[in-house]
Parts: sequence; C-alpha cells; structure tokens
Amino acid sequence: MATRELTYVEALNEALREEMRRDDSVIVFGEEVAAAGGVYKVTKDLLKEFGPKRVLDTPISEIAIVGAAIGAALNGLRPVAEIMFFDFVGIAFDQLVTHASKMRFMSGGQVKLPLVIRTQYSLGRSYGSQHTQFLAASLLQAPGLKIVAPATPYDAKGLLKSSIRDDDPVLFVESGALYVNRSYYGYRGPVPEEEYLIPLGKADVKRVGDDVTIVAVSRTVSEAMAAANQLEEKGVKAEVVDLRTIMPMDYETIINSVKKTNRLVVAEDSVKTGGISAEVASHVCEYAFEYLEAPIVRLNSPPMPAPQASELEKKYMVSAEKIVNAVTKLVK
Amino acid sequence: MPQLNMAQALNLALREEMSRDERVVVLGEDVGRRGGVFLITEGLYELFGPERVIDTPLSEAGIIGVAAGMAMNGLRPVAEIQFADFIFGGFDQIVSNVAKIRYRTGGQFSVPLTIRAPVGGGVKGGMFHSQSPEAYFIHTPGLKVVTPSTPSDAKGLLISSIRDDDPVLFFEPKRIYRTFREEVPEGDYTVPLGVARVAREGSDVSLITYAATVHDCLRAAEKAEVEGISCEVVDLRTLLPFDKDAVERTVKKTGRPVIVHEAPKMCGFGAELAAFIAERLLFDLEAPVLRVTGYDTPFPFVHEHHYMPNESRILNAIRKAASF
Repeated sequence: MATRELTYVEALNEALREEMRRDDSVIVFGEEVAAAGGVYKVTKDLLKEFGPKRVLDTPISEIAIVGAAIGAALNGLRPVAEIMFFDFVGIAFDQLVTHASKMRFMSGGQVKLPLVIRTQYSLGRSYGSQHTQFLAASLLQAPGLKIVAPATPYDAKGLLKSSIRDDDPVLFVESGALYVNRSYYGYRGPVPEEEYLIPLGKADVKRVGDDVTIVAVSRTVSEAMAAANQLEEKGVKAEVVDLRTIMPMDYETIINSVKKTNRLVVAEDSVKTGGISAEVASHVCEYAFEYLEAPIVRLNSPPMPAPQASELEKKYMVSAEKIVNAVTKLVK
Repeated sequence: MPQLNMAQALNLALREEMSRDERVVVLGEDVGRRGGVFLITEGLYELFGPERVIDTPLSEAGIIGVAAGMAMNGLRPVAEIQFADFIFGGFDQIVSNVAKIRYRTGGQFSVPLTIRAPVGGGVKGGMFHSQSPEAYFIHTPGLKVVTPSTPSDAKGLLISSIRDDDPVLFFEPKRIYRTFREEVPEGDYTVPLGVARVAREGSDVSLITYAATVHDCLRAAEKAEVEGISCEVVDLRTLLPFDKDAVERTVKKTGRPVIVHEAPKMCGFGAELAAFIAERLLFDLEAPVLRVTGYDTPFPFVHEHHYMPNESRILNAIRKAASF
C-alpha cells in the first residue's frame, strides 16, 4: 500500500473530506469551523468544497451545538459537531449523558443516533485549568456513548471515518498537543493513500515486548513509545498497548498482554482517582489476577487542576521519564 | 434521643445548622413553600423565611452558579438538585468552576457550598430518576463527595459538610429515606468527612460499599454467616477523599474484597477502589477484587431489581471470593 507522511491534523482533515464526499448526509458544524477552518485547522477548506449548507459556524453555545447535532442525527443526517475544548463539553454534559447516550434505549431501538462530537484536550500547551482537561473518565459511566481517542495520524484518520459511519453517538477526543508538538511520535506519521477504516473498540499493540505492559491513550502513547525506546537501552522490553477506543474498551488485548508480561503500568493524562487507569487496573485485577507478579502502577496527573505555568505543567504531566522510572522499579 | 428516619434526620440537621449560623441558606426547586419533593426541607421556609429558603427556577446550572457566588461572598449555601440525574445540567459549574475556585485564586477564595441530591434506584424512577452519578465527580480534585447510609450518619455528615470550607456533593440514597428509624443524637453532632465505619465485623470476606447498598450487604452478610462465611461490611460514608486506611485494614484482615455499588461497573467508584487495592495491597490479596454493581446500560425501569446489586448477587460474589 502506498503511503505518505501526514500530520495528525492533516489526517483528520482528510478523513472529514473523504466522508463528506462519500456521503452527503455528513455535515460539520461548531464554533469557527467554517470560515476560519477551525482554530486548529482540522476543518480547513471544507467550507470551500462543501458550501455553507454542510459546513456551519455556530454561536458559542455548547448545549446548542450538541442539541442540534442530536436533532440532526435523529432526522437522518450524520453530523460531526466540534466542541473547541474538551473542558467545554461539561456545559453540554446533560445533552450527552441524559439525551444522546440514552436515546437508543429510550426508544426501544427505534431510533439510532449517528452523531460524532469531535473535541480536543490541550494538556501540554500551557492553557491552564479550564482548557486542558481530559474528561473522558467522567463519561465512562454513560453507557450508550462510544469514546475514541487516537494517538497517531493513521489511527486518527481510520477511527474518525469509522466514527462517522457508526450508528451510535461517538465522542471523538483529539489531543491538542499532537496537533502542534513536532517532537511527539503521534504528530506525524505514515498514512496510506488508499482508503481504510479502523474498527472501533480495538486496541493496538504499538510495540511488542515481554517484560512489562504499558497501557496508554492519546498523548501518553507518545510518551510510552519514547519510554519504551529508553527502556530498550536498559534491556527492558516494554509492550505498548494503545487503547484507541476507550468505550467500549478492548479488555481482551489488555488482558492478553498482561498474561504475557505479568506487569502493568497505565499512563493517562488526567488525575488518578476515578480515571480510565482505574478501570483498566480494576479489570485486570479481577480477570487476570493470578498473572500479576507486581502491583499495578497508575501514572496520572497529581490530584489538582492543571497548572498554567509551563514548567509546572511539565511536572504535572505523565512523561517518558516518569514511565521509565516506574517501569524500572517494577521490573526489579 | 429521638427515633428518626433519614429524611427526618436530614431535616433536623438543616434546622439546627440554620439556627446556629445565619449564613446558612437553602435554595433549589420547590425547597421553600413545598418543603422539597422528598420533604427534606419541610418547615424551613416557615421558620427562616424567604430570604434564607429560596425557591429557584428550574435551572441546575443557575442553582449551582448562584450558590457558588453566594459561597464566595460569605454565605454557606445548601443547594438542592431535585434528583441527582439532573446534576449534569450543572456539570460545568461544578467541575470547571466550583471545584477549581480555591486553586485558581491561589487560595484567596473558598467555596463552602453543599449540593444535596437524592440518588439511586429502587423507587421505580426509571432511567432519569434512579442514577447514582458519584463516579462522574470523584475524578474532579477540589470536590468532596459524601453519601450516608443511616439516619445518624446523615445528620452528622450533613452538618460536617455544611461547616466544611470546600464544596461538598452530598448524595442521599432516596430508597432508604424512610425505610427505618434509629436514635439520632440531638444538637451539635458531627461525623467527620473522610472516615469510613465498619458496619459489621467479619474475618473471611470484606464487603466495601456505601449508601443504600450497605443494607443489602448487611443482609447478604447474615445469609453468608449461615453458610459459615464471616463477612465484614465497610461503609465508606465519604467517597472523595475515601478512607484509604479503613480499606487497607479490612483488606489486610480478610484478603478477599468485594465492592458493591448501584452505579454501572465501568469506571464506577468500584474501579477506583479495586485499582487502589491492586496498587497498594496486591500481596495481601487471597482472591481477585470482585465488583457487584449496576450493569453498563442505562438504568432500566422494569428490571431495576435485577440491575441493582441485590442480596443474591452479593451472596454469589461472597461465595466466589471465599472459595477462591
């Protein structure tokens, strides 16, 4: 398959463009997504190609954006709505949790809700406590939603296309750090010329190893890959499992990896208590208990809001160094 | 000491705190003239008048936003969200504002706000009046999350919450508002936040739980006793911050923890507890950490008694843990 290098942002843009060409029920709307092409250029030039009926700028009201997306989806369209920062999803929380996630159940399966809410979290960009939050864990208690968080351009494109074609509501969480930080593994990468899809609900083993399993998601996959390189030099072979889809979670891939390595580190860009890492750890402790040779380690942010000062934010975030230190202790 | 049910104990706590401290105000939908849909605020309007007992419009974001402003300006509001299911309308206010004010102002402001909300199933409320949303909030530093299981704890914990200088979410298990009475201390009675209680001593299996399921666990523990399995029941009372020492004590004692709650399993509070145990206490375990919870679906109207962790599901987990 012929491939070329694309950035994370370019891959997302291409996914939107291809799906809009393929299916004219796909529409895009949100704050600044049309004329400006999105504040991060993910929706760049879509207005030019598809016009103002399919690419719409909305007022600043997250409730209205998600509410309108639900209505559009119920009536036969496939809306891809953008919420500029994950933090602002909180304003539309009731729309997501009370309405979108439950619609299929409420109607006894009579309606489907093919909607995608795209958003991004900006931890790593010094945006402070209200523009950096990764709130995915707080939505895992809302069965009916799917939550996807790609870590590379390849995954970003394939997963966004699958999300748009999915008949249930998908919250598609992008990483603002992967938009801009060239040093990350997930900033740029090979993407096939030909069309492809990546199924939702499937984790990906990004690197194979025998000594320890590192489960990561979104930006922390880049940290885990960097850590795995450093560990290799020390003779430790780390397996990196990228969740890719958070809900439903691919427990099988996690369990199979832990059965092989007997050691688990989970790296997540949010606070520890009640995080995704808690779900991963608790599941392993219930279903692969006999395989654990060391305590499970959760690497998260400290229990506080994200600091704005970049030096503090660096210390706040999960880093390759923190992963290396945790793994080094664990394999002893 | 009077014999009170939980609803009466909560009402007593509010009366006493409002009498003691005139900064305490109550606001919410129908909390004034009506006395609240569950009558928890009954009689407060007559006693303290419309300036301190305020009926609000139907807007959860408005209620929590106003209460946050009151709290930052010297009052100690107790806001009611009529059903915890509706709290999502105020999610942004709670998570992005209320929880972060102390941090964002470098400690110049605190938010001494209590948000009360009835939680849980068992009352034929269907999917929008039965949920237990505690896990949505334990992931937010800056909040405290409290949930009582007895009338006396309800009083003591509510008073502590009102007196606390930080925001507290106070989740009241509505199906046990009026199911039983017990002696509730009068006057200045507080139960400290962040401290669990052992509701039943035992040595073979630890049932770690909170809110209404404490009572399901106690009943299951009695049945297990007949089968020769001795169960300890730990009632966490506060979920954020939860009492890590109490969890450690009981897990070290039995080595067989079973976690029980009504909310869905995936990333529920039980996930945090199990992960904590897997991190800190792995080598004290004699069996996997089991979770008996609601299922990963919306809360069903018809099948709620299968959905909730009933006695027989808890008993099955006890047997599984004991025989591992």
